[in-house]
Amino acid sequence: MVLGLLGPSLVLIALFVVGPVGYAIWLSLTNKTLTGFGAQTPEFIGLENYRRLLTSADFLHSMGRTGEFIFFSAIVGQFLLGMLAAVLLTKSTVRAKGLFGGAILLPMVVPEVVASLAWASMLAPGQLGTVNRTLDAVGVTPLAWLQEHPMASLIVINTWRGIAFAMIMFQAAIEGISDDLIEAAHIDGAGARKVFRYITLPLIRGPIFLFLLLTTITTASVFGLIYFLTRGGPGGQTQVTSIYIYEHSFAFFQLGLGSAASVIMLVVVLVLGLTYVRLARVEV
Amino acid sequence: MARAALRRTGIYFVIGLLSVFCVVPFAWVVLASVDKTAGLYLELPSLTIENFRRFFSDPTTPRLLFNSLLISGGATLLALVLALFGGYALSRFKFFGRRTLMFTILLVRVVPATATIVPLYIMMIRLHLNNSYTGLILVEAAYQLPLVLWLMKGFFDSIPVELEEASWIDGCSRLGGAVRIVFPLSRPGLGAAALFTFINVWGDFLTPLVLLQSAEKYPISIGMFRAFSAHNQVDWGLLTATAVLYMVPTVLLYLFARRYLLKATFTGALKG
Repeated sequence: MVLGLLGPSLVLIALFVVGPVGYAIWLSLTNKTLTGFGAQTPEFIGLENYRRLLTSADFLHSMGRTGEFIFFSAIVGQFLLGMLAAVLLTKSTVRAKGLFGGAILLPMVVPEVVASLAWASMLAPGQLGTVNRTLDAVGVTPLAWLQEHPMASLIVINTWRGIAFAMIMFQAAIEGISDDLIEAAHIDGAGARKVFRYITLPLIRGPIFLFLLLTTITTASVFGLIYFLTRGGPGGQTQVTSIYIYEHSFAFFQLGLGSAASVIMLVVVLVLGLTYVRLARVEV
Repeated sequence: MARAALRRTGIYFVIGLLSVFCVVPFAWVVLASVDKTAGLYLELPSLTIENFRRFFSDPTTPRLLFNSLLISGGATLLALVLALFGGYALSRFKFFGRRTLMFTILLVRVVPATATIVPLYIMMIRLHLNNSYTGLILVEAAYQLPLVLWLMKGFFDSIPVELEEASWIDGCSRLGGAVRIVFPLSRPGLGAAALFTFINVWGDFLTPLVLLQSAEKYPISIGMFRAFSAHNQVDWGLLTATAVLYMVPTVLLYLFARRYLLKATFTGALKG
């Protein structure tokens, strides 16, 4: 009975999600390519692809860029702005919470491609680009953002897109804190800043840690946003690991190498995911 | 008192600034879509609905919309039907290894699509499902299934078993009771799960980019990317009109079902 009901779902997941993971591991041990000799008769080459990757400056740079992208956009940007929004929107004196919350939610809910397109105009070079026009007011000379500061631009965009995710997680956590506790602290003479530092922050440590894990996992796999706007360029400056995998597999046709890079990415993400599942103590 | 007022103004200023930062990038998309002379820059439009009319009369763009609807609709339907039965089993039967299975399903959710796309591409060629709606729909449904299974299990858990038991006494089979009593009662949950799945597939970019090669099968995401990449000859009016039509469904769904959709986003992410 159970097998009959659950079977079809498990087969589909096994075939198209778990299967490719196993297949990636196999491919990563071969010299499979999309064209030429390696396409028809790929040979088993052991850990050669991994050796090549771990000694390739290109790949190591892509890992570094992924780290930079995750650190500045997710761990710093989304965390700080999301926390700011959550703290302000849980204050009882603030009205029109739905309106502000909805505005902040917008970047997260629109399709990736629309978000990217919107920023293509924001960051457009020359005096007429929206960001340049705004900064002109404070005396900054116009820049070609996506060419001159591509990584910084993408970090801002990814921060913008993820504020809502952080905000919602922190909002729920802050609302879970008992009002009595805050009130008692106020009576003892603690100001808003002290209450946040000594009461709110320690009490929502759990959700903060879970957010950091989750956002690291999702940010590591961001692809469309970057591919749409820079395709990893210029000069490889925004080639994060997901772009590296795509380019090496489908532009340079080195499927074995691309698979090895995929496996490395998978291992990192799965370790984070396991930590997450253990810590979240989700009820089943 | 004056200090309190100043403080409140400060709070509104900061939260207002944050909201403006989040919304401003969309101003150009929306304004250019109704601008007769739309360009890459934000400017006051000379109002027209011509761009939208062109979207529907163009030889290629209506096809994008149709493809997106077909792919998202197909994947949603498939994932939901499977999860309806699978979720029921996870909720009602206490079989060996159920807990482990639930956690494994949750873990499968974190597998990044970028990490499986290369083997998936080769698999699809082998299975002769490359460059086909069927192949893409199967993959998209498989990606969404872990979450939908979790959602459906949660909904079924909230429906008392006693209701079914009564139907068994009346002579219903186990499955009959599920189909006649439990499934109809879980309709609101089913609706939320359907919307959520639809939105996710609707917005996907990487999977169709790799698995589809012929332009007449592209969904909107890929069509927009191709149009945008045609440097120096981008039709901004048409492109932004496409973007508006593309984002309107998700924005509307969030407007009306925000609570349910956000709950779905965080299923398995938070306790309780």
